[in-house]
Amino acid sequence: MRYVEIVSTDVDSFGDEEWDDLRAHLSEDEIAELGMFLVGNLGFHTFFGSLKFFPMFSPDGRLVSQEESAAIYGDRPESLQGEAAE
Amino acid sequence: MSRLAPLELDQIEDPELRDLITQCVELGVPDELFPRIIARVPAQAKTLLGVMLELHTKGTVDHQLKEIIRIQLARFVDDPYFSALRSKKAMDAGLTEERIDAGCDDYEDSELFTDAERMALRFSDQLFLDPDKVDKIFYDQMREYYTDAQIMEIGTFLAIYHAAHLFMKTLNARPLAA
Repeated sequence: MRYVEIVSTDVDSFGDEEWDDLRAHLSEDEIAELGMFLVGNLGFHTFFGSLKFFPMFSPDGRLVSQEESAAIYGDRPESLQGEAAE
Repeated sequence: MSRLAPLELDQIEDPELRDLITQCVELGVPDELFPRIIARVPAQAKTLLGVMLELHTKGTVDHQLKEIIRIQLARFVDDPYFSALRSKKAMDAGLTEERIDAGCDDYEDSELFTDAERMALRFSDQLFLDPDKVDKIFYDQMREYYTDAQIMEIGTFLAIYHAAHLFMKTLNARPLAA
């Protein structure tokens, strides 16, 4: 989670110390897997956030309008909160 | 050397994955390094490489424009690996370093781009640096030049490559060849 946070918000601060920290807990194969997961997700949070669309279903499984969904889930993904603070 | 060592080619036995690596090398983006690193997880690597090649070389948005956008994004995050790579297909079609540099810098005032190309460059420029500017008004302007399908094509391309640049930057990777 520390790795993902650094990549998302301050990649320039990632150095040997952070790498050693990551390697202490994850194998090289696991880091490759985590990296691919990031590639498949990180950028989409920003892109889809800019398109302003929201989940079709409420947490209890109801099909809801985009307006109601925005009210339920908020109009800004939590993944973008770090950018908002910058 | 990358913090995460690539597999040797003879360690990669899956023929489909080897074929995708060959396609990457032929295109030049990514080179052999990125695929050999992610080849540690073959099933996911095949999916990701297929998506990256599809997004970069297929679709209806000009490949040269996508190559400029890709390099612009890589330079934004100071990723030395993806910044240094060049699509052989784009370069063979006439893309120049002058146009790449202009696309990464003064594209708004450059005569090397059409209004539609400037719009796409503005999209990639602002989506990750200042996403609040990419709002409904921005997308309305973009739709003067691009279809919804093309906007999705460019946006998806940006999303995948931006994150790939960040990942490779954390590996401190450099291209295999100078």
